[in-house]
Amino acid sequence: MNEPATFPAIPFEDHFRLSLGDFQRILGIAQSSGGSFAELFLEYRAYNFIVMEEDIIKETAESICLGLGIRVVAGEKTGYGYTNDLSFEKIKKAALSAAAITSSPTTVRVVDLSQIRPVHNYYRACEIPHRAPLGKKIGLVKEAYLACQKSDPAVKKVKAAFQDQIQYVTIANSDGLLVSDARPLLKLSCVAIAQKGRRREYGFSGGGGRVGLEYFVSALTPAEIGKAAAQEALSLLEAKDAPAGEMPVVLSPGNAGVLIHEAVGHLLEADFNRKKTSVFWDKFGSRVASPLVTIYDDPTIPAFRGSYNIDDEGTPPRKTLLIEKGVIKGLLQDRLSAGLMKMPLTGHGRRQDFTDIPIPRMANTYIDKGEYDPEEIVKSVKKGFYADRFQGGQVEDSGKFTFSVSSGFLIENGKLTVPVKQATLIGSNVDILNKIEMVGHDLMFGLQTGTCSKEGQDVPVTDGCPTLKISKMTVGGLR
Amino acid sequence: MKDDLLFIAERLVRYGRACGADEIEVGIGDGTEFSVDVRLGEIENLIEAGSRSLGLRIIKGKKTAFAASSDLAEETLRHLIRNAVRRAELANKDEFSGLPILSRRTIDPATLAIFDPEVGRLESKTKIALALETERIALADKRITNSHGASFVTNEGTSVLASSNGFLGECQKTYCSLGVGLQAGETDDLVEDFWFSSQTHFKDLETPEKIARTAVERTVRQLKPRKIKTQRVPVVFEPQMTAGLLGFLFSCTAGTAIYQKASFLVDKLGQRIGNDRITVIDDGLLPGKLGTGPFDSEGVPSRRTVVVRNGILKNYLCNTYAARKLKLKSTGNADGNGVSPNNFYLEAGPHSPAEIIRSCEKGLLLIRTLGHGLNSVTGDISRGAFGLWIEKGEIAYPVSEITISGNLGRILKTVEMVGNDLEFRGSICGPTIKVAEMMVAGE
Repeated sequence: MNEPATFPAIPFEDHFRLSLGDFQRILGIAQSSGGSFAELFLEYRAYNFIVMEEDIIKETAESICLGLGIRVVAGEKTGYGYTNDLSFEKIKKAALSAAAITSSPTTVRVVDLSQIRPVHNYYRACEIPHRAPLGKKIGLVKEAYLACQKSDPAVKKVKAAFQDQIQYVTIANSDGLLVSDARPLLKLSCVAIAQKGRRREYGFSGGGGRVGLEYFVSALTPAEIGKAAAQEALSLLEAKDAPAGEMPVVLSPGNAGVLIHEAVGHLLEADFNRKKTSVFWDKFGSRVASPLVTIYDDPTIPAFRGSYNIDDEGTPPRKTLLIEKGVIKGLLQDRLSAGLMKMPLTGHGRRQDFTDIPIPRMANTYIDKGEYDPEEIVKSVKKGFYADRFQGGQVEDSGKFTFSVSSGFLIENGKLTVPVKQATLIGSNVDILNKIEMVGHDLMFGLQTGTCSKEGQDVPVTDGCPTLKISKMTVGGLR
Repeated sequence: MKDDLLFIAERLVRYGRACGADEIEVGIGDGTEFSVDVRLGEIENLIEAGSRSLGLRIIKGKKTAFAASSDLAEETLRHLIRNAVRRAELANKDEFSGLPILSRRTIDPATLAIFDPEVGRLESKTKIALALETERIALADKRITNSHGASFVTNEGTSVLASSNGFLGECQKTYCSLGVGLQAGETDDLVEDFWFSSQTHFKDLETPEKIARTAVERTVRQLKPRKIKTQRVPVVFEPQMTAGLLGFLFSCTAGTAIYQKASFLVDKLGQRIGNDRITVIDDGLLPGKLGTGPFDSEGVPSRRTVVVRNGILKNYLCNTYAARKLKLKSTGNADGNGVSPNNFYLEAGPHSPAEIIRSCEKGLLLIRTLGHGLNSVTGDISRGAFGLWIEKGEIAYPVSEITISGNLGRILKTVEMVGNDLEFRGSICGPTIKVAEMMVAGE
């Protein structure tokens, strides 16, 4: 894909009313107690939000987030201060709060800041949503809403929501880095509730990414989103309770990427390994998964929700190999962990906003495609569970993880038979990774609507996988 | 400074009216945060900061627009208001929209004991020392093999609200919490858990000793777990687990979910939804508790609402909008443009937790869950779980890699025993309960 010109970045002076000289002075104050590294993170973010329910455009919202975070690092210690009042006095106070992490006053040299621009642009926004008229965006919401409602008379309630945002960030640090980024993000989602007799079921769909409004013409139309939400609710009306117990499990392509996100991604975030709390900390270079498993995290996939031109520490991101043929090859790094572990930066230091310290995070995580035909995978199962749609998951450092399946099918004699609903799958990551018996050639990504939470910070992510077969896993259904 | 916030809010209300808004409400929050994370005896992160934020709602011709900003520059705020008046035109007319009618009842925040001046007076070194002490005591136990660290957090905040209906209110709140997370066992057989205490008043916090000992005990009791066969058994919920279940119940009793038909409790008002052991209250007026406050985000005075009395669903929890849609009254649960609980709890019963465990010939004591499998439309629950297996009324061994599944509607009707151990550890809480039977999936 050809790369469009860098998203038109407005100079930081316009948003933050601070000059290069101000940055140098603040960095000097931040390092005045002897911190080995100081950094400023400036953020200006504007959101728009539209919601339609009960057949009306119920409300619109506009929101602005402006602020500055200051970090001072001394060894393994981090001091942090932030303010949304960008007067020099308040900024100075925040810098001194951050500086308080150490107390060995030093004379600080003035940092020579040289502004660089991100080398690549991974955003694909032609018609920039933030500047588009509200009426046009309302049109998209209505289209999704009506398509969902008209899918079937059994669809009783619909809610459609649109959100766009533009986030301008500028990062300056004591190593002399000064870099800015302007990150667009778009999301249109639809919820359907279908009813048959006394039974009601819920369906969801959505799309978006780091794209412009043209996405809803060329990539995924609002009507497709609305129909998909309706379809999920309608199919659940016919679904039976999921089975309970241990059985072979086949995961559908795309949506099941949440398994990789939970079972592998989090535990290869560098901080958990540096602190030796992750079950993987002593397994670098060792086999932890079936040789069929290769996993990447790639923040450079164009237009994806989890992508960025620079991370929240100003590092250009890299496609990072995490597991190759079952062997751990890499970790997701931020500056602090990479420095302490003496490993290369990968560009995965992210933060929710200026009030947060950056930590290693996933971006777009996926298990690479294998060789099997998806049909052949289902055919190989005599009696098992096909997990189709997912609600999310959770993992702890010990490797125990779960993910919730909203809908699936029973597999009987190599065929998908009865549709079933609501089950939680649970396992221990190394155990499950070794039980991946077949990997399909049909790599897909899940909906461009995902958000990942860690230590109270939410960031946009995506994940993906091909059809996968796990030889045995505990399925927690009602039957 | 407080007066300053009220002044800004009032001035913006007047500006909004002058710009053509029929109704306008402006809320401003001003808070300071202190947070220290320590790990293995050293400070890891130290955060000290203050910030302000503003939210507003405008109604014009029964059409609504919201705006929010952390940039409190006057020109930014005026621009947002003008934009909101313009945007309101593009929404649809909604006869249920609008601010609440000003209540004659007012609550003096001073009677609620939600501000503890001692929190603001604590010195950084005292707070750091508390976190270090908590972790030190925990790590002194040889069964603990690693630490996720200990944290001490304090927040102080002032919020003000001004509305064109004449409401003007302000309140100051404090919050403090101390906790520690631990691991035990070897790399391939790790178990982990944490314990914390959070309160409005510093003096009500549990001691470092108590928090550390509880965290250690909760962690090591999971060592050497076994797998169990898939079966239906009685499940005993520890108080923290009951709180999780009640959080789910709250989302199903929220008026916003009811009018959207997104709850299994739609059209159930006045009907039996649980057995007579179930009484659930939402109370915004309990002095000194974390969910207490004088008014909600629309300025509706807080109250005590009986949600379920002896199994009968008495009230949905509503903001003004949901209440109008459902032809009910606001219960003072507005939060932004949704609803949130005040102090939402299950009333305690007569049984001690030990007595409840003794009553199980065979069963699962549920101690932790993992994952998100909750569906408010159907009430279905399916989650990863950790527990202690009960045999002949005694704790026998830990179990892991299991899931529990059931349905909230059925659970409420089959609670067999309610514990006497209700503690207000958060804004949603409950005592130990025993549910007659749930599906526990293992091997």
